[in-house]
Amino acid sequence: MAQPVRIEPDLQFVKELQAVGGESLKKCYQCATCSVACPISPASNPYPRKEMVWASWGMRDKLLNNVDIWLCHNCGTCSDLCPRGAKPGDLLAALRNMAYQRLTKPSIVGKWMSSPKYLPILFGIPAVLWAVVWMIMASVNGTVIPEGTIVFGKLFPGDFTIDPIFIVTFFSMVGIFWKGTRNLIASFKPEGKTLVLGKTKHWILHLVDVLREEILTHSKFKDCGDDRSDRKVGHMAVFYSFIILMIVTAIVAAGHWGGKVIPAIALHTPMPLLFPVKILANIGAIMLVVGLAILTHRRRQQDPEKTRSNYYDWYLLNVIWFVTLTGIGAQLFRLADIAPVAYFVYYLHLVSVWMLFAYLPWSKLGHLVYRTAALTYVRMMGRR
Amino acid sequence: MAKKIGVYFDKSNIGAGLDLDALSDVVTGKFGGSCPVVKVFPVLGAETARQEIRQDIAENELDGVLIIGSSPRVDWDLYRFEGVTVERVNLREQGVLGYGAKVEAGEDAEADEDLFKLAADYVRMGVVKLTKMEEAGGGEVESVRTIMVLGGGWTGLTAAVNAANSGYDVVLVEKEAELGGRAKGLLKTVPLKYPYTDVHDTGIEQKIAAVEGNERITVLTSAKVRKVSGQPGQFTAVVKTKDGNQEIPVGAIVMATGWQPMDAGVMAPFGYGTLEGVVTAAEFEKMAKEGTLKARRVAFILNTGLVDGGDIYTSVCDEEPAEAAAAKPEAEDDEQTSYEHKDLESLRHLPYTNAISSVVALKQAGYVCDASEDGQAFILYDSMVVQGIHERFYKAAQDKLGVMMSKADITGVAQAEDGGLLVRAANTLMGEDVEIRVDMVVLPTGMVPSTAKDPVVWFDYRQGPNLPDLDLFDGYADSNYICFPYETRRTGLYAAGCVRQPMMLDAAEEDAIGATMKAIQCIESANRGMAVHPRSGDLSYPIFNFVRCTQCKRCTEECPFGALDDDEKGTPKPNFSRCRRCGTCMGACPERVISFANYNIDQIGSMIREIEVPDDMNAGGPRVLILACENDAYPALDMAALRGHHWSPYVRIIPVRCLGSVNAIWVADAMSKGIDGVMLLGCKYGDDYQCHFVKGSEICNRRKENIAETLNRLGVEPERVEQYEVAIDEYDKLPGMIDEFMNMILEKGPNPFKGY
Repeated sequence: MAQPVRIEPDLQFVKELQAVGGESLKKCYQCATCSVACPISPASNPYPRKEMVWASWGMRDKLLNNVDIWLCHNCGTCSDLCPRGAKPGDLLAALRNMAYQRLTKPSIVGKWMSSPKYLPILFGIPAVLWAVVWMIMASVNGTVIPEGTIVFGKLFPGDFTIDPIFIVTFFSMVGIFWKGTRNLIASFKPEGKTLVLGKTKHWILHLVDVLREEILTHSKFKDCGDDRSDRKVGHMAVFYSFIILMIVTAIVAAGHWGGKVIPAIALHTPMPLLFPVKILANIGAIMLVVGLAILTHRRRQQDPEKTRSNYYDWYLLNVIWFVTLTGIGAQLFRLADIAPVAYFVYYLHLVSVWMLFAYLPWSKLGHLVYRTAALTYVRMMGRR
Repeated sequence: MAKKIGVYFDKSNIGAGLDLDALSDVVTGKFGGSCPVVKVFPVLGAETARQEIRQDIAENELDGVLIIGSSPRVDWDLYRFEGVTVERVNLREQGVLGYGAKVEAGEDAEADEDLFKLAADYVRMGVVKLTKMEEAGGGEVESVRTIMVLGGGWTGLTAAVNAANSGYDVVLVEKEAELGGRAKGLLKTVPLKYPYTDVHDTGIEQKIAAVEGNERITVLTSAKVRKVSGQPGQFTAVVKTKDGNQEIPVGAIVMATGWQPMDAGVMAPFGYGTLEGVVTAAEFEKMAKEGTLKARRVAFILNTGLVDGGDIYTSVCDEEPAEAAAAKPEAEDDEQTSYEHKDLESLRHLPYTNAISSVVALKQAGYVCDASEDGQAFILYDSMVVQGIHERFYKAAQDKLGVMMSKADITGVAQAEDGGLLVRAANTLMGEDVEIRVDMVVLPTGMVPSTAKDPVVWFDYRQGPNLPDLDLFDGYADSNYICFPYETRRTGLYAAGCVRQPMMLDAAEEDAIGATMKAIQCIESANRGMAVHPRSGDLSYPIFNFVRCTQCKRCTEECPFGALDDDEKGTPKPNFSRCRRCGTCMGACPERVISFANYNIDQIGSMIREIEVPDDMNAGGPRVLILACENDAYPALDMAALRGHHWSPYVRIIPVRCLGSVNAIWVADAMSKGIDGVMLLGCKYGDDYQCHFVKGSEICNRRKENIAETLNRLGVEPERVEQYEVAIDEYDKLPGMIDEFMNMILEKGPNPFKGY
């Protein structure tokens, strides 16, 4: 018989879990309906039944070293069918929220992300940052609102403000993710590994498989319950609109910086409305609105007895709404030629975009990286 | 003894396939003198028809009415006529439907003839039955309107107040010096009121005050019953008190003598008795009540597999628990010394108590978690059994941060390095073997009913002071029939609370009220000369023709309810209000001494003799007599017919009160008459008996073996008499049983006595 494991319940940890979305976890009576109902849970040691008892017993280490929380795609079937309203889906979401906090340093940001009371700080940092830029440019321009045709570059020039700030932000984020992902993978190690027979693949090939088979196709969303096509459509619309906007940003950046070397490819903003890149950008914006509308509607329709959206869910949705609406608004006010409003909305757009990117590793959007890493990891471990 | 009978046919129920006019001729032909009125009504249930019957009764001075139509189990409220004896002949279910519906009227002449013969037999049997029947009555017993409640705990106090408020005097007997019982030792109770989520005070003090302030209730503390004699309505209880013995006349008794904790010595495998901090739930409650509880981390072990193997169906070793066996009840006087009570305490009382232990663990886990912020309670169970509304309490307890539960097999309890305790468990829900460091371990307390240790009531009955067959229920004074809670094997004694089965305060309260109602019913029934149960309202009772009695004592021994005492010579001494009117005594008596006014040996024998048996089995078919228990088998036959099942036209069914009342002479009558076989249809017997009278079908089966022996000697195959066990819901199997029996008879050929 194996040496018994000494149990040291960490009730403080249980309280924290309850605070980040797992408030019903104690209601579980271990019938395992959830594990049976989950369409994508593995056959051996299926989640989320075991996570529920670990949570109830305050078994912190077990939960923190658990890769299964990332396999869950949060369709809510388990919570819908739970006879006790214990909301196992919410518990796994809460554990992921906790992981964002725990894996990503500096952890103070994670704390700020955990509760609406810190929202002023999160908003305040980019607000001050971009206000300083505005003030400097106002003194350079000699006027708070630049004169003439509205060109946002007059107030927030790419070369000296937007690009350097976002390049620094972006690479910091990548660095933070890199460390966070290493922490994540390290935490899984104690769980041991499955013997994989035959040739083993390099992790990069597994990553490619994950991207190809799961992420780009959203195949898990299809497996997750059968009547949730709205969720798949919404998530996919947001996902692909982000990719479109990323491509647009890349083209604009390439055009801008490349244009300095090869004038032929030079690209200047604002682009004409019928310019192909602009059309692509606006298609992306519309897709984003549609996707967000679907996801927001879905969350608002949820039965709070079954599934409850937590602060992490709403924070992310609202920040993306903020980005989307200020982006579209800036364009519309620019076209309408209402300079003070257009410049201010553009300022807000910069604030929101920075919020989205700078805090990304601590936000729910961190699943972009962590889930991908975890899915790659489980493929390597042979847990399917 | 009906002499002028009106016979009425109900065309609406049995007209199909039966020539009722021809049947009327059968009646007038055979019983013309005693049946002055024979009529066929198109619809007998109509008020006009019944009006006409009333007229006939008045004009012709009828003293008996025979209704021929549907089963006596239906429409019984329609056919009640003042001043005459009414009998029903069931030609609908057990005639036209059970057989006749098989063929369309007129299509098969032979089948029609069989149906007519069957109907004619039943009609003649009906008339004869009526002529051998008298109105029952006259068994009134002057009742004492006092209820004795044994036990002054939660249940007893509730019963006492309830009885007093219903207008009866109460004598409450408590063995301890104070009222309150075990409820008094509880710190809190599992919630008894909405929202059923939080523990609260029991309220036992208010109950005690209500009893002490009630003028109708006499409380005897430090008192014990030493003897109860007499019969319901007229018991005499001898109660030993501080001031000596008191003789108290009582009408009925509510037994609420509760439970005692099981010998905790058996818990040694969990470290009980050797490790400090290992206690039972009862001891834990006491510590909580006294405020001496310090433990922050407590394991509540509900899986007692280490002790009882986890299987409640394994047989219990006789030598366990060793200590309990040694503790014999103290004999207090000569009469009591001659009786030796078998101690029925066993390991099984642990699993029996599981439903209580589970909820108590939840409650006590709450004590731990509510006492301090960091309180932790681990509940390790095999099965949490939380009944009914207590599910709400379970949910509330579960929601407490410090309460942790898991299914677990306990592998051991050991001393921890730091002086605490280590509980080790395997097969947990956490997916691995675990050990938990705790300050205390709480083990469940098995609730042993007081009747397992002691006869409690000390009946002065011929069959002994104790309730019979208590070992079937491991000492609980339960009757095992779901339909009749509170009933015991002694009429007038009603069990309530934990002496009946382990239960919590809410259920005990309900029990107390139920048992009080039964006690009241008993007193009032005795007063009117009626049976209490299960033939409630039956006015008949056994009448003894002592001239022929040979003092063989079979009746006194076989009575399942100890109704018969005897004198020095062995002559039976009936106690009518103890009797449940099953007729087992009548079936037992070889001298046919015992009869009921409306049910007797001669009556059934005469009915059997009315069955026409064709001399040639091949020409007229065989004949088989079915004696069917009227509680289960007879209704099952009705149901079978109503649901479209059919059986042979060659059987004749006679209902009996209980197979226990079947006298061997009836079988002899049938065989000598040339009937080819006798089927006895009765309830299931044995440990899981379903017999309304507990022992009837079992006794009948025993008698059947004697009958078989006799038949064998006479050269008749014993297989011709067979007993079948039928549950009331097995109606669909009945036709198959009958077919099987008929085939066997056809194979064996005619009864060798046929034609003599």
